[in-house]
Amino acid sequence: MGMPIVVAVRDGDDDAAVEDVFGWFGHVDATFSTFRADSEISRIRRRELAVDDASEEVRSVLELCEELRAETQGYFDAWRCSPDGLDPSGVVKGWAVDGAAAILDRAGRREYAVNAGGDIRTRGRWQIGIQHPIERSAVAKVVDGSDLAIATSGAYARGEHVRDPHGAATPTGILSVTVLGGDLARADAYATAAFAMGMPRVIGWTARLHGYEALTILADGRVLATPGFPG
Amino acid sequence: MRRAITAALGAATLALPTASAASAAAATKKVITTTKTVTGSQGFAGRWGYVEVALVVRKTTTTVGSKATVKRKIIKVDVPIYPNHTDRSVFINEQALPYLTQEVLQAQFNPNIQLVSGATDTSNAFMQ
Repeated sequence: MGMPIVVAVRDGDDDAAVEDVFGWFGHVDATFSTFRADSEISRIRRRELAVDDASEEVRSVLELCEELRAETQGYFDAWRCSPDGLDPSGVVKGWAVDGAAAILDRAGRREYAVNAGGDIRTRGRWQIGIQHPIERSAVAKVVDGSDLAIATSGAYARGEHVRDPHGAATPTGILSVTVLGGDLARADAYATAAFAMGMPRVIGWTARLHGYEALTILADGRVLATPGFPG
Repeated sequence: MRRAITAALGAATLALPTASAASAAAATKKVITTTKTVTGSQGFAGRWGYVEVALVVRKTTTTVGSKATVKRKIIKVDVPIYPNHTDRSVFINEQALPYLTQEVLQAQFNPNIQLVSGATDTSNAFMQ
């Protein structure tokens, strides 16, 4: 997938479970990568593979994308976010980390953290920083909590990296949106959608999330958080 | 809402004789301030749904000698029931109501941080 993946386990030296996790990420990459010509997603893009004939994993991820498209009023849209066609990567990353966490859970690990390109899932208590959007060596906030799933979408990494599927314009007024909640695939899609909405729509939308908390950093230096966002 | 304001005016008229009787003895200035919450009846705002408005009215009665002056001022307007059955109404209402906490962006350098959540260069590649 071409992104840094960090797996940290604090309880036990169970290298086999960590190996399984990296094996899983390799499998996800081979199946979903838009950069690999032989992945199922690339084959669907070229119309060599019908969605109905895809593997169960791909179908369930695309079903989730469809659900999220409706929930986000089209702001998360795996079919329209890329000019090259289908790109479910916004969900796959979080979904892959959810799967990695399930592998570590099954191996009996209760103190671990998985970080795939800024999408994080933890078990046990960890201190997670929210990247400061301007000062690269600093964080804007520290989340000190247990068993978290947290994803951030933003524009600071390399300019505009989320397209608004409605207007195809760069969303304005927001530097980053962080969403925290039970399901990392969902949290990531919500963060992506909220960022794409831009100001002022992001205010009402994040305030209305059910079961998920959001922290939005605005371009004017204000930080808006849902009341339940852990400090 | 209109009915509620009429009711408030009625109450003030009844209070007037007491105020003037008390001040009749001495020609001193006396100021009495009271606040009252007036809740209007629930109204149906067309296709948008039900709405109810509550006003907090401050009444200031200034008595000089036998002359009483009453001033009323609306100091707060609440909307305890508002239409929320359409997306647009919810959006407008949430713009007006404090659902989010607000603070100022600060740069923290915390050595205890074990992980950082952020948008990476790779997610750029994912989305474009």
